[in-house]
Amino acid sequence: MRGEPGRRVVVTGLGAVSGIGIGAAEFLAGLRAGKSAAGPITAFDTEGFDRSTACEVKDFEPDRWIRNLDVRTLGRASRFSVAAARMAVADAGFPEPESALRDIPCLISVGTTDGESRDLDHLVEEEVDLGPERMDRTVARRVPAGRLSSAIAQEFGLTRAEAVTLPTACAAGNYAVGYGYDAIRGGDVDLALCGGADALCRKTFTGFYRLGTIAPERCQPFDKDRKGILTGEGAGILVLESLESALARGARIYAEVLGYGLNCDADHPVAPNQDSVVRCMRLALDDARVKPDEVDFISAHGTGTKANDITEARAIRRVFGDTAPPRTVSIKSMIGHSMGAAGALASIACSLALTEGFIPPTINHEHTDPNAVLTVCPTRPWQRT
Amino acid sequence: MTAIVEERRETIKEIVTDILELDPGEVTETSLFKEEHDADSLRAIEILAALEKTFNIVIDQSELSRMVNLRGVYEVVSDAAGW
Repeated sequence: MRGEPGRRVVVTGLGAVSGIGIGAAEFLAGLRAGKSAAGPITAFDTEGFDRSTACEVKDFEPDRWIRNLDVRTLGRASRFSVAAARMAVADAGFPEPESALRDIPCLISVGTTDGESRDLDHLVEEEVDLGPERMDRTVARRVPAGRLSSAIAQEFGLTRAEAVTLPTACAAGNYAVGYGYDAIRGGDVDLALCGGADALCRKTFTGFYRLGTIAPERCQPFDKDRKGILTGEGAGILVLESLESALARGARIYAEVLGYGLNCDADHPVAPNQDSVVRCMRLALDDARVKPDEVDFISAHGTGTKANDITEARAIRRVFGDTAPPRTVSIKSMIGHSMGAAGALASIACSLALTEGFIPPTINHEHTDPNAVLTVCPTRPWQRT
Repeated sequence: MTAIVEERRETIKEIVTDILELDPGEVTETSLFKEEHDADSLRAIEILAALEKTFNIVIDQSELSRMVNLRGVYEVVSDAAGW
């Protein structure tokens, strides 16, 4: 029998792998400094493309965090997710080795856009160049997207874990956190490791390039001169548990999860639907029993494309009112669009913002689009005094 | 009309009808992809990409606004290819 339903859910551990910092402390420093992860793409050859900038994770050493699994059996996205989980568990104050967690009823939910498409890129290359019989077997075994979550259970030896990978693309990190929240609130599990992971890959870069939505140099959310997204990568994992559990073990509490909203309009493959975005924000507010005027800041999707930012800004003003909508930030200005990790890394940024009393900046925002007017802090973070 | 022009027009029509999943008989020179054939912006990009590949040309995305029917597509491809 698990805990009573209706429990309060808190965030007690953060693990971040991002282009502006690895680990919660470095990520926080990067957010405060308004660092940019943009740089020349090294993941694949960009010859023939008119764009060559992305936000990659540099200097990532998986062996620093992955102790039990053979790193060669994990694709880049799974390495990110396992490393972020290790950081989150340590950050939550669980002592090593984590054998105490072994038999805890636990949910692992990881959102993703591409799974291990980075590996698929290479396998296809090998198939074309050398023939299918020459495709690397070790790499082929890494491909199933379920590895992004199941590898975490394996790394920690968790015997009572439900491991799910949620492939709902750019919203997947939010889905995963929402699922973790439900599982704790409903009393199904005592611990949730949830978030998202993705590795930069040629396939997704090419798709967005073909749509004409890749920016040449920088991501400028809500700016009138914005030119599109920069693709990114990374992972974010949050430790969720019930308030009682956190208090009982004297854990540091970053934030409380009050609710969330999900919807699906299936209206168009890429064009955002303003009414649907409005409905989704209202679902989240209603679930959390929070009124629009109680919200102090919004962490936006803010991709930096023409269509997203104008639709999102209008939706925010519809929900929060035209006179003074809350301050809004898009951390994609710094870390690019990390796809399945985006919602998770943004949730981590929000947890840090609440704990530290600051709002991260939206860098590269210089001239607010008159059609997408929001209060955006451009270069310096806003700090509570 | 010279044979080569006729051939190019045929190729372009094939590409368009194939992507829009239409019977070649349904499409005229001036019937509108979006209004009359239910095409959307993603299909338009698919057409643009297929034309670039087939004719080894580069078409600027801003040209999509001219590519509303077969005649418009032919003009855009002609301009890009310098025919």
